[in-house]
Amino acid sequence: MQARNVIAGLVLGTAVAAGFMLALRNAGEATAPAAPVAATILPAGNELPDFALLDQDGAAVDRTAFEGQWDVVFFGFTNCPDICPATMTVLGQAKRELEAQGADPLPRLVLVSVDPERDTPEAMARYIAYFGDGNLGLTGELEELSKLTDALGIFFQKAGTGDGPYGVDHSTVVLVIDPQARLKALFTAPHEVANFVHDLPLIMAGK
Amino acid sequence: MMRRLLLLFTLVTAAAGCDSPEGPPVVADNVVVTAPGAGMPMAAGYLEITNHSGTDIRITRVSSPAYAAVEMHETIVEDGIARMRAIPVLEIAAGETVTFERGGRHLMLMDPAGTPETITLNFYSDDVLLLTVSAEFTATMD
Repeated sequence: MQARNVIAGLVLGTAVAAGFMLALRNAGEATAPAAPVAATILPAGNELPDFALLDQDGAAVDRTAFEGQWDVVFFGFTNCPDICPATMTVLGQAKRELEAQGADPLPRLVLVSVDPERDTPEAMARYIAYFGDGNLGLTGELEELSKLTDALGIFFQKAGTGDGPYGVDHSTVVLVIDPQARLKALFTAPHEVANFVHDLPLIMAGK
Repeated sequence: MMRRLLLLFTLVTAAAGCDSPEGPPVVADNVVVTAPGAGMPMAAGYLEITNHSGTDIRITRVSSPAYAAVEMHETIVEDGIARMRAIPVLEIAAGETVTFERGGRHLMLMDPAGTPETITLNFYSDDVLLLTVSAEFTATMD
């Protein structure tokens, strides 16, 4: 009889302990802060350098163009048939999904040309409009472009020689610039819509 | 010369077999070509090519009436840097399938001629037409 009580007590105690542990785990899951799953956060927030480029309307643009809104920035070129439109498509889809979810604020998409030789403001205007409204396209002098790319660790190099068509090797990273024109986060390739939809609101909320 | 004759013989044989139950010798599937224009000076084509001919084939040239030039390219991403390189010759072993997909092998279509609604792609081995593909453009990159 005594042994039966001991066993019953052990079973009851085990059940209570298991329930307690489960409750603790659930509470932990409920209160654990969400964190980016793909982005690398840069807490220091490196400030953008001074530069002078042109937007898609041909207007002069400097670093202050990055102040006042969150920007998602990719470096590519309009004659790139594969990875540039694929990346811009991912970013455009992510922005549309965030908008559908009621995200506020929404980031602006920015394409900085690494092929200023061919990418006129007009070419940039046609190209960025393909991926949604409100996008910014930057192009201009190679020297000014290099100020921006050098500071942000972006690589680009013309590939091929001669007068024929050429490509441009370039970084695939996507950068997130905060409303104070500081580099706050980056996404490395391969780029997935779901990662941007998950991480961008957290980054913009300072998490 | 012998190799070309052998290839030609194989292709003629294979072409003669187009109406046979075995089907055509070289087949394209899952063809996607982005629409010309709309801000895109270049377009990209993606597809799968399967070689049922019973012998290895070499694709040396691609053309389309809808574009001034079509080239086979490959995007290679290493250490976070995308590099695009031309593929001068694409070899497809007998029985093998080669895939053109985003971020990898792709067709680069340059200088569209007008705004056609469909596209035809011709794949050659030197002067021998191996495969003709007709497809509708995809409206977007989505």
